[in-house]
Amino acid sequence: MIDIFQILNYFFEIFSSDMMDIPLIAPIVDYLMQIPLLNILVALILWKPFFAVVIMPGLGVLTLYLLYIVWYERKLTARIQWRVGPLEVARPIRGAIQALADGIRYFFQEAIVHREAHRPYYVQLPILAFIPVLLPILFIPAGSAVGIYTPYSIQLIVTFIALIPITIVAIGWAANSRFAYIGSVREAFMYFAYEVPFIIAVISMIFLYGSGDAYIAVEKQSTIPGVLLNPIAFVVYIIAMLMATSRLPFEIPEADQEIAFGPFVEYSGILFGLVMVLAYEKLYIMTLLFTILFLGGWSGIYCPLLGDLNGPLWLFIKSVVVISILVIVRSIYARYRLDQALRIGWTSMLALSIVALIIGGAVGVWLS
Amino acid sequence: MEEYTLDIPVEPPKELRSLFIPIPPAYVEDVYKSDDFLILVGPQHPGSGHMRLIVRVKGDIIQEVIPDPGYVHRSIEKLAENRLYIQNIPLVERPAIMDAANFNLGYIRVIEEALDIEVPERAKYIRTMLAELCRVGTHLYDAAILAVFLGHTTGFMYPFGIRELICEALVRVTGARFTSSFIIPGGVRRDVDNSTLKWIYDMTLAMERRLKSFERIFIKNPTVIARLKDVGVLTKEEAIKYGVVGPFLRASGVEYDVRKIEPYEVYDELTWDIPVSDAGDGYHRFLVRVNEVAQSLSIVRQCIKQMPEGRVISEQIAENGEDIRGSFYDSLYDLVLPAGEYTTLTEGARGTIIYSIISDGESNVPYRVRIVTPGWLYLRGFMESMKGERLADLQAIYGSFGYFPPEADR
Repeated sequence: MIDIFQILNYFFEIFSSDMMDIPLIAPIVDYLMQIPLLNILVALILWKPFFAVVIMPGLGVLTLYLLYIVWYERKLTARIQWRVGPLEVARPIRGAIQALADGIRYFFQEAIVHREAHRPYYVQLPILAFIPVLLPILFIPAGSAVGIYTPYSIQLIVTFIALIPITIVAIGWAANSRFAYIGSVREAFMYFAYEVPFIIAVISMIFLYGSGDAYIAVEKQSTIPGVLLNPIAFVVYIIAMLMATSRLPFEIPEADQEIAFGPFVEYSGILFGLVMVLAYEKLYIMTLLFTILFLGGWSGIYCPLLGDLNGPLWLFIKSVVVISILVIVRSIYARYRLDQALRIGWTSMLALSIVALIIGGAVGVWLS
Repeated sequence: MEEYTLDIPVEPPKELRSLFIPIPPAYVEDVYKSDDFLILVGPQHPGSGHMRLIVRVKGDIIQEVIPDPGYVHRSIEKLAENRLYIQNIPLVERPAIMDAANFNLGYIRVIEEALDIEVPERAKYIRTMLAELCRVGTHLYDAAILAVFLGHTTGFMYPFGIRELICEALVRVTGARFTSSFIIPGGVRRDVDNSTLKWIYDMTLAMERRLKSFERIFIKNPTVIARLKDVGVLTKEEAIKYGVVGPFLRASGVEYDVRKIEPYEVYDELTWDIPVSDAGDGYHRFLVRVNEVAQSLSIVRQCIKQMPEGRVISEQIAENGEDIRGSFYDSLYDLVLPAGEYTTLTEGARGTIIYSIISDGESNVPYRVRIVTPGWLYLRGFMESMKGERLADLQAIYGSFGYFPPEADR
């Protein structure tokens, strides 16, 4: 018995040594910390690495964001298209929990695995695909809350983002159907089209800040945000983001009218629910990096009541605002053809990214 | 680009033998031996109508497309042989319900030609107006389908929103949103009052304003132009050779319109142009129809302005009075066409509609009704234009033709 208490105490020491300091809820936290056993739970939740990964800007708000963005995108598109959009699920709040209702429906729907599929991979891959999507969260700092601190955080995030298409190609291969096959080939092509300009654009920003450390990047943007320091990299990053998350006008791997959702054509039930949100999660991760690189990251108006929560909150708010602006392209543009998208990726975007690299180097020298 | 062949034995998949596809097994074997890939698009696919397209692709390039029409065949021609002439009116509208007035008009004109029925002027104007309203409705419907095939959902919703005005106009005139069966031998079912005509006149002006917002978001959209321009080109010679009809023929540079060549109703009394383009690609097939919408709205306005007063039903049909209501069946059930074959051409929204009735001269049902719809006529040109394009262009070309399987299958 003593051993268990010692172990618990040991963990409690670790957790409570590095806790989020939020004056707004400080009285409640202080009261809970006096209760044995419950205090270790509270200390864990408010432990900075845990808070960053699981609560904010990690999994907790990621779920909230998914519920919000699916509804918001549909509602915005509907407003543009002279419609009402989702309304019937929870009428008083204008159908805001529509995504939740859809998720529950997916959950209880039969997930059919067709005969031609490579069954183990087919079932596993939607879940495995979450690993490269969620790993970057470990390295994304938000103010003082950070999962794992490393001076190479930007490079690491980019690396994990680059892993995501591989799982999608594998999904298409495991589905073993005509349209899924065409969809994975298209995904692979698009991967090559955006990945090179995207990485060059990020490298130009690393040049500019002189470090791959997100803290240094944010610190250097304290007067002028990155978008003004290197607007070309900003443009390249936005286009690459649209391509990477297969949003219109680059919704080519999943083009539902052409190849019926491409790699995901055979999925149903909760498996479809999982693969459907993959692109949204990728968009979220890329937008977090985008905010850190170009929009001053977690710096914002400091509210003393929130204390340490200021950083994560500002990062989240900025990201959601950026995404809310980005979803409007869905209702404006038609889909490009694969060869046109590849041409854009390998000519104008590549040229722009190299210009951005030069600007990044020049401004980096001026800043240092 | 140099080609590398891999000498790997490839077995044609089993499902290609069990799916009842209308191609010989040797063809399938040949495809698989020559490094090509067969893709079956449809009949239930978000990017095809109710028709299966057997697409043979090499890499991303379409080599050949074999259509498999007939999925929504309703045997309208056979059904028509067992019904009275007037009972056929609702039936012959069914192939393309958006274009109901034009289909209706073509059938009625055959009967009128056979029986030498003189149609009153006012009825002719009302018929022309209805036909043009339906033409606008069909073009908007096709534009919407084209937009959604390109992944442009706003371009899908706007024309359907605008088309509600057409439906409302048809409701006010005929009482039904599209399949109204309003045109009957000798005229139309009932007169249209002035307030309705005034409403339709204002509606055309309101519609032009709304079409401007559609033009901004879809027609002039750079991504749409990139997708449609120089895609699925049919030259003038090819279009004539493959027997393409309607706006798609005019988009290839052939100035042919039944309304001008053999004017029926009051088309020769109105001033309007035939929109023509020489490019023959997907974008101009679409643009020609966009310009036709403007022409049609102008025709509708002219009809309303010039519409004379008078009867709406011929004296030969409604002998007792000016109104056919209440005595419709009594006046028309015993129509018997003189023995012989009668044919008319009508310019429907998607092209020439050929109606041909063969009568034996003694029965009150037709011996044979032949309907050749525009969809069936331009199917060949549609298939030929897809050769050599990319797989993603299949939907763009499909949309640019506005192919409508129920219309082609009848």
